[in-house]
Amino acid sequence: MLKNKIAIFGYGNHGKFIAKGLLEDGFDVTIVESEKHFFEDAQNDDFKKVFLADVTKDTELKKMDLESFAQLVCVMDDEHLNVFLTLSLRSLFKDSYILSISDSLNVTKKLQMAGANKVIDLYEVSANKIYNILDKPIATKVLEDFVNNKSGITFREMVIPQNSFLDGVMAEDIDFSSHGVLLVGMIDEELGHAFVFVTAGISHKLDSGDTIVCLGEQKELEAFEALIKKKEDRGVTI
Amino acid sequence: MKEFLLSFALFLHRSPKYKAAKAFAKTLLFDANNPYKRYFDLTIIFLVISSVLILIYEVKNPVPLWLDNYDIYVVSFIFAVEYLLRLWVHNDISEMLIKEYNDAKFLGREFSFYTVLKKGLLAKLKYMITPSAIVDLLAILPAYRPLRILRVFILFRVFKLLRYTKSINQFVDVLVNKKFELLTLLFLLLFIVLTSGIAIYILEADINTNIDTLFDGIYWAIVTISTVGYGDISPVTDVGRAISILIIVSGIAMISFVTSVIVSAFSERLNELKEDRIVEQMNKSKSFMIICGYGQMTKMFFRQKRKHIEHYVIMDTDVARVEAAKKDGYIAIEEDASSHKTLSRFDAKYCDITILCLTSSDVENIYITLNAKSISRNIKVIARVNDPETVDKFRYAGADELLLPNLVANTMIYTAITQPTMYKAIHAILTGKSIANIDEIHVHASHAMMGKKVENLAFTAGKLLFLGIERKGQFIFNPPKSMEIETFDVLLVMGRKISLEYFKLQHEGDIHVKK
Repeated sequence: MLKNKIAIFGYGNHGKFIAKGLLEDGFDVTIVESEKHFFEDAQNDDFKKVFLADVTKDTELKKMDLESFAQLVCVMDDEHLNVFLTLSLRSLFKDSYILSISDSLNVTKKLQMAGANKVIDLYEVSANKIYNILDKPIATKVLEDFVNNKSGITFREMVIPQNSFLDGVMAEDIDFSSHGVLLVGMIDEELGHAFVFVTAGISHKLDSGDTIVCLGEQKELEAFEALIKKKEDRGVTI
Repeated sequence: MKEFLLSFALFLHRSPKYKAAKAFAKTLLFDANNPYKRYFDLTIIFLVISSVLILIYEVKNPVPLWLDNYDIYVVSFIFAVEYLLRLWVHNDISEMLIKEYNDAKFLGREFSFYTVLKKGLLAKLKYMITPSAIVDLLAILPAYRPLRILRVFILFRVFKLLRYTKSINQFVDVLVNKKFELLTLLFLLLFIVLTSGIAIYILEADINTNIDTLFDGIYWAIVTISTVGYGDISPVTDVGRAISILIIVSGIAMISFVTSVIVSAFSERLNELKEDRIVEQMNKSKSFMIICGYGQMTKMFFRQKRKHIEHYVIMDTDVARVEAAKKDGYIAIEEDASSHKTLSRFDAKYCDITILCLTSSDVENIYITLNAKSISRNIKVIARVNDPETVDKFRYAGADELLLPNLVANTMIYTAITQPTMYKAIHAILTGKSIANIDEIHVHASHAMMGKKVENLAFTAGKLLFLGIERKGQFIFNPPKSMEIETFDVLLVMGRKISLEYFKLQHEGDIHVKK
């Protein structure tokens, strides 16, 4: 199973945006559509692997060798079709990772019952944004710029390699801000594969193999990532 | 005389004190936003009630002299002042004179002093014969002692209270709407009452000892037709009884007819009356939210339960959706937010209004945005944009904040695929989950943080992540440790709610929490 092999079902409102983004980032994208004009859109947009298939038919799904994909993304415009597709994929491929989009609470529930691993609600984040705008307008604006990478400041995941100066150190002993980056949180493999925010107040020992999520300017982030990849750097004063 | 009045008008026209006094009197009497109006109203209500109570008490008990004097002079005096004030602010004769004088001078025509004066006085007179002005005048009359009969007019003071009850006005409104039906019935009633009253008088005046005058006959007819039937006057001849039967039958028919007309008039306007009540309550609350459209976005907004939204109203043009909102327990009215009439009912001058345009149509949302902004620039508009290409149009329309659910969802999906770890982090931050809550700390002049260096603020010890400072519109990410905090800085800090609250408390003003 290749980690960057993604199948996208639906080339409508959402599929288009996602597929293009993934292609730019070097993912191996396969698009499946049941609508003729969307299928043609995808072909015109220079996607190599585009299939026109009736996704309600199991036989057609089986033909596509979907086990080999890292993720199956269901973003059909028709919500009924989307739920049905999620259900079919789950029943056919027990171990696949399925991600679906939902446009209402009821559909979210149905998708979860149908076996989607992750359901993203179209309105959840935006609905929360209204509260944020009302309560803390400045924070909302700054955050949005972070997420959309407008201000040049962005999030980045980094894996701590072996023999890095971060290997085996307590997270609070390192002053990240002097490197121009902020440690937001980490995935501690020792604590099970869960994301922990640094503000949760739990002491963390960083080990090789842990993933840390940092916030900072692109350049600083790259410099910092290079720094942690340097082997045996413990002598450096931090 | 003419010159004197004109120069007096000019003097008033130039006096800012006079203008201010008049404006104040006007707001005191009519504008609910004048802070003193409440006290003024309460005083009037107290005076009315107390004088009516005295009247009732007086019937069987002797009243002490001071109470009598209070009733006659204090109450009446204040009412007289109120009456004159209302008369005074009704229109502005001096302004009319000045305007006419200037116009005449400009056009070189003859200055018609008395025409204008007459026009102004006529307007005052017109006000004086409105029902409420008559009630006000009658309420003053009991002050005239020699005529004790005028005491009865104290009851007119009760009518002054009508000014403060909106429901009466609404009732009258409803009746006015059915004027045609009610008038027709009234004429029919008059006809029956008069003919049968005259008939009984002609037939029985000589035989029936209880009927002496025509008034007795008409009185009997009304008592009978209304099905009250006191029985003090009753027909004694067969013909008289036959008339009674006719009158009773038509009376029952007419009463049920009147009742049904009034009831149907009310049920027709019930929704409207309820909506009026909601709008009125909103305007009273000073700060509220109008949510346009009850679709998935609005539902999601309410289900977040982040904060209790106290004053809001949902508006939708679709009856089914309004019903659904009501069923879900929300305040909703069936109105078109894109119509000028609807939104101008809300008091944009004195209230903080936030409009959420959350319908699924961009055209509709832009229209509502424009409509709101055309009513007042002060209305804050948060609009949902479905097609990212229309963003510019929303900006031109003047929307303060934009929501792009499609784009946001796409970014979230994209992040979920490419960086699953970060997805959780970003999702938690954007939905404001407790641990990842990002808050603003606004530094004011007397803030204990003022002048402190960044390194001296113990963020890490407080289990907080300091992101940066917003200063004069610029965001400084991860500022150097030596940077000092200035007034009006906004610090962006991430952490649990309790950590943030504790940190704010520690650094707020002079409060220092000992460790």
